[in-house]
Amino acid sequence: MPAVRSPLPTRVLLVCAAIGVATGLLGAAAGWVTIPVIAGAPFAYGLVLGSHVLPGIIAQEVLRRPLVALLTHVLAALVASAFNPIWFPRFLGTALLFGLIQEGVAALTRYRSWGAWRFFVSAAIIGVIIAVVVFFAVDLAKLPMWARIIYLPLAVLGPILWTAIGLRIGISLRRAGVAPR
Amino acid sequence: MSDPYAEQTAAPARAWLHHLNPLAKLGAVLPAMVLLLFVRDLATPIAFLVLAYAVLLTGARPTARIWAVLLLAIPAGVVVLGVSMALWTDPAQVASTPIALRIGTWGLHAGALESGFATGLRLAAILALSLISGLTTTGPDVVRAGVQQLRIPYRFGYTALAAYRFVPRFGYELSVIRAAHRVRGTHGGRGPFARVARGWGYIVPLLASAIRHAERVALAMDSRAFGAHPTRTERHEVPFRARDVVFLVLMLAASAGILLILT
Amino acid sequence: MPAAPLLRVRDLTITHRGASDPAVRDVSFEVHAGEVVLLLGPSGSGKSTLALALSGLIPHSLDADASGSVEACGHDVATTPIAALTSAVSTVFQDPDAQIVTGSVLDDAAFALENLRFPVAEVLARSEAALRRMGLWERRAENPDRLSGGGKQRLAIASALATGSPLLILDEPTANLDPQGTADVHAALADIAGSEGRALILVEHDLDAALEIATRAIVLDGLGRIAFDGPARRILREHAEEILALGAWLPSAALAARRLCAAGIPIGAPGSPLPLTADELRSAFSRFEARTTLDPTSGSSQVRTSKAETEPVISVRGLEVRRGRKVVLRGVDLDIESASITAIIGRNGAGKTTLVQALAGVVTPPRGRISVDGIDPAVASPRTLAAHIGFVFQNPEHQFIAHTVFDELAHGLRLRRTPPAEIDERVGAMLARFGLTGKAEVHPFLLSGGEKRRLSVGTALITRPRILVLDEPTFGQDRARTEELLALFRELRAEGTTIVLVTHDMDLVVQHASRTVLVEDGRIVAAGATSTLVRDALIPLPAAYLAVPPDLRPLLGDEAVTGSEAITGSGLGTIAGSEATEPAP
Ligand SMILES: Nc1ncnc2c1ncn2[C@@H]1O[C@H](COP(=O)(O)OP(=O)(O)OP(=O)(O)O)[C@@H](O)[C@H]1O
Ligand SMILES: Nc1ncnc2c1ncn2[C@@H]1O[C@H](COP(=O)(O)OP(=O)(O)OP(=O)(O)O)[C@@H](O)[C@H]1O
Ligand SMILES: [Mg+2]
Ligand SMILES: [Mg+2]
Repeated sequence: MPAVRSPLPTRVLLVCAAIGVATGLLGAAAGWVTIPVIAGAPFAYGLVLGSHVLPGIIAQEVLRRPLVALLTHVLAALVASAFNPIWFPRFLGTALLFGLIQEGVAALTRYRSWGAWRFFVSAAIIGVIIAVVVFFAVDLAKLPMWARIIYLPLAVLGPILWTAIGLRIGISLRRAGVAPR
Repeated sequence: MSDPYAEQTAAPARAWLHHLNPLAKLGAVLPAMVLLLFVRDLATPIAFLVLAYAVLLTGARPTARIWAVLLLAIPAGVVVLGVSMALWTDPAQVASTPIALRIGTWGLHAGALESGFATGLRLAAILALSLISGLTTTGPDVVRAGVQQLRIPYRFGYTALAAYRFVPRFGYELSVIRAAHRVRGTHGGRGPFARVARGWGYIVPLLASAIRHAERVALAMDSRAFGAHPTRTERHEVPFRARDVVFLVLMLAASAGILLILT
Repeated sequence: MPAAPLLRVRDLTITHRGASDPAVRDVSFEVHAGEVVLLLGPSGSGKSTLALALSGLIPHSLDADASGSVEACGHDVATTPIAALTSAVSTVFQDPDAQIVTGSVLDDAAFALENLRFPVAEVLARSEAALRRMGLWERRAENPDRLSGGGKQRLAIASALATGSPLLILDEPTANLDPQGTADVHAALADIAGSEGRALILVEHDLDAALEIATRAIVLDGLGRIAFDGPARRILREHAEEILALGAWLPSAALAARRLCAAGIPIGAPGSPLPLTADELRSAFSRFEARTTLDPTSGSSQVRTSKAETEPVISVRGLEVRRGRKVVLRGVDLDIESASITAIIGRNGAGKTTLVQALAGVVTPPRGRISVDGIDPAVASPRTLAAHIGFVFQNPEHQFIAHTVFDELAHGLRLRRTPPAEIDERVGAMLARFGLTGKAEVHPFLLSGGEKRRLSVGTALITRPRILVLDEPTFGQDRARTEELLALFRELRAEGTTIVLVTHDMDLVVQHASRTVLVEDGRIVAAGATSTLVRDALIPLPAAYLAVPPDLRPLLGDEAVTGSEAITGSGLGTIAGSEATEPAP
């Protein structure tokens, strides 16, 4: 007669917090390099912004259950903001956007299929959205044609690259036996 | 922000921004920040910069850090971004504007400068607005306000507080892991690639120990009735008072005013 | 007619998710108000699992297959909501850092009460009472991270007291603490034991202090069944041999008596009762001395001084180390002789870790102050250094870098470009020696605690350094694992390896360290043969050892008596393997 359980037991919540702290610190670092990147190579901004996919990827790969991606994203954003308050809205915005996309893609397979392809589908969607939003935010229409042409694939490639990295981390953690049952 | 829990020496009464509800501060600036994403002129970002500076200079506790950010970091950022974005601007699009600067055969059009600085100022304005809550709010207070006003279930709020508590521990664990790996002789190689390779080796042990720690903390929290009821007694009130409403309304009105006058 | 029991356990069997065998089997017992139950057993015998089941965390928070029943204060823990359970049972865990949830001492004590929706006034009143009782009220506004380990555990106990639950379960509350913290916690427990209709269930390795409050002992065997259950002293006295054979600890007075007995001094020999406390040991001596004249064995220290005159393999002169702005070590002079086992002891924060880390180049020492096997760690590359001195961190997981046990061991050799055939051979030999042959392809993180520790020692040894340095290697290990490790050290030493270890375990120091270095506040205040330091009372000995007449104390430590000679003797479980050693390569 197991007790009635919340869909997100405390253990899952706190594991999300731990992953959120690690990835949030990375997010804070991404915040710091933003200004130099926009100034020096605005077309490569997608590569930096792509790092914000990590919280959800690692959380989903380790925990494999609903809502963990979104929660970990928000926690990562809170931690990143503590170190880098000026980017708070960006952190929270990307967290909600990326988290919802990752949850959505996982929900489409009813949280049953956890193949790598699923992560890359969400990465590609995120990449396209980043491409559009950043285009307006940094006013990339003013850039020369070649920079605009490089920008687009980089913006999509960024999240895909970081997704691959996140997957590797998640798989290593599983192999080390830290994935909670 | 090494110890987010460090008992904040209570801000003096005249630093009124510190005494507002975190949600009021966030709500007051978010519309303007979104708006700024889409404007292209120079005047709107300047107006919002002035507004943000006025609020911060009157309401934030004047620390060395605030002065440094407001008087050095932001202006420097505007100049660097403005100039570099001007250089990045496609000359063909601004060919009709006069040449502002000429070095040999190369010329920088005034239009390029204008659009560069428009971008720089826009980002600076977004940044300055976010400082209104960023510099005057502690993370735990945001969480408390979320629980008390937005009715976020407290289990999530406390998970966020636990996350803040993990941060210093992470720093310590990382330093130990780095030392341990150095002793194993993984030190080899200089340069960015060797550093990335080394950093990669820290990730799994660091996350693994963090997750194990998280599981132990979870057990300790469960054993103390965490989540037993949908609500819990709250000793730290973060109220939403009349002054928060006033601030919110004034800021939104100011934002709308700037928008109406300048566009 | 006795009152209803606070706790009633019936035929409890628990199997963890994914485990093939039950961790706890067919356990039944009752606990009444006023009892203090000591729960003993070797590592893996299911003590923690049982503790989790008693507090309802199994099944509420952890998945496990459980049959049988647990009733706390009349509630069946499996079906009672957590809120009701919390006012019946409270738990204090092993890791002090993992039990702090909030940002201030007061908030932490109030945490459970707030979750239970007590009104603010009552939350404050109860937290205050609990904090005052644990001596923490004055520090209520501080961040709990600033408390010492013992302070954090007292805070955890205060949080448990605040809920007013009559059953308090403590799972190794002192395992992570230094002697001072341990004493603090035990004083706190003695204060609350058996009062106010409360019952305590205590899992504890340090039996000396626990015995002072325990009324009853339950011993689990390796399979998770109850081996013995009864009055604490009687169980320990009558079943000492069986308990030792299971791999659990005995009080240090009992261990000392057994050791003396093996050395030919018939204390606690069959027939006379085994002394369990320092007082009992002392009175055993008075009886014993009344009958016989002591055989003066105290000449032993001269034996070892003559042997000690060897060339030091580590020498330190005028070492000063800073960490941040703080000077952590100052004016340190130290010689460590070759093929010795040297223990570094001292209070928390004294600078022990910093000292050994400077020796191994983990923190960079100033130039020209240290010579380790002829090289200066301040300038040598980590790779060179690793060939001369192996360093083992307290938490083995921190230093694992590969995905299999084999690669972990091979790593050091590959860095040296050893030919693959030789790597296979040396790693194979190392696996065999550490009993890890079957685990070559397993991920290091998936090993058991004892195996992880052995692997971490193996990775430090694979490059055949002459010196092995270990930071608190026996921390949190049970007796069987500790002895396994110590047998290994002994074997290595016989091969000519110099071993330096930081430890808080005075039992280990007295028994196994040939030399001891006492660090206090960044300085070395005493260094020399362990027997000399013991005789001069420079080592903070367990009370049981102080009960032994000074001239007999050297007999307590086999090493200290025989110097670096091969160990002979019988009756001590600790010398396994020493005969099997080969001469140094
Ligand atoms: N979460 C888990 N999943 C699977 N097996 C587990 C789990 N926790 C413990 N075990 C296994 O259950 C058995 C009992 O473990 P337990 O931690 O209760 O022992 P213990 O007596 O407390 O040991 P120690 O003295 O080392 O703390 C062990 O074989 C252990 O490997
Ligand atoms: N990285 C660091 N930065 C600043 N101070 C430090 C650092 N590491 C240690 N210290 C300080 O140096 C002193 C000695 O620390 P060290 O870890 O060597 O003590 P220890 O004797 O090993 O203690 P323990 O028994 O707790 O392990 C302590 O007061 C500690 O606070
Ligand atoms: Mg245990
Ligand atoms: Mg230490």
